[in-house]
Amino acid sequence: MTTLSRKCVPFTPFDGELSKATVAIVTSGGVHLKEQEPFNIADDLGDLTFRIIPEDADSSELMVTHHHYNHTDADRDINVVFPLDVLRDLKEEGFIRELARKHVGYMGYTMQLKAMYEGTAPEIANEIDRGSRADVVLLTGG
Amino acid sequence: MRGIPTVLITVSPEVSAQMRPPRALYPKGFGVGNSTGRPGMRELQRAVVRDALLLLTENTRPGEVVTREYPDYGEQYEPPRVKAGR
Repeated sequence: MTTLSRKCVPFTPFDGELSKATVAIVTSGGVHLKEQEPFNIADDLGDLTFRIIPEDADSSELMVTHHHYNHTDADRDINVVFPLDVLRDLKEEGFIRELARKHVGYMGYTMQLKAMYEGTAPEIANEIDRGSRADVVLLTGG
Repeated sequence: MRGIPTVLITVSPEVSAQMRPPRALYPKGFGVGNSTGRPGMRELQRAVVRDALLLLTENTRPGEVVTREYPDYGEQYEPPRVKAGR
């Protein structure tokens, strides 16, 4: 299980070249596929779950469920918080090599910080580590 | 243990800095909900994502949020502040 450090900045050097790198997006912006279960915005404690977004997801099939920021712009163009098409452009121009197999969306609002920190975050890290083949991760909020 | 290099795009630099992200880009004046820019501004979105990824190859200071300006974004917003006393 991947562990997360509280004591220091968990800085991992990147020794490679971006043009040879596979990139995953992890967003706290509440992004998920329309066909996936929306995040639970009715629970005042927040939602500790996350959604896996496959590399071939059509951006028109993505949506936002999050009630702690104004996602009107993301509703029009998901790339403002989840730049999947942007990464496709960067792949096309040779700036990066590949999009990761898996990307992750979760709702970055919770009153259960300990559970988020000790449960959800390492689970997301493991998904990325084991299943996405990502060399680097781009993190976005809302 | 193997780590995964990350870079954050934040529109709330003061709030994000509290979490001491390994690398972070603040596109100055971008509003919440506009991490890479406004809808349909693909060239701007590409520029922001390129700059964020480039931080992976630069000698950034861990925990520091790097601010860059993108005039094409247009109207600027004040970022959320950390509440006093926290």
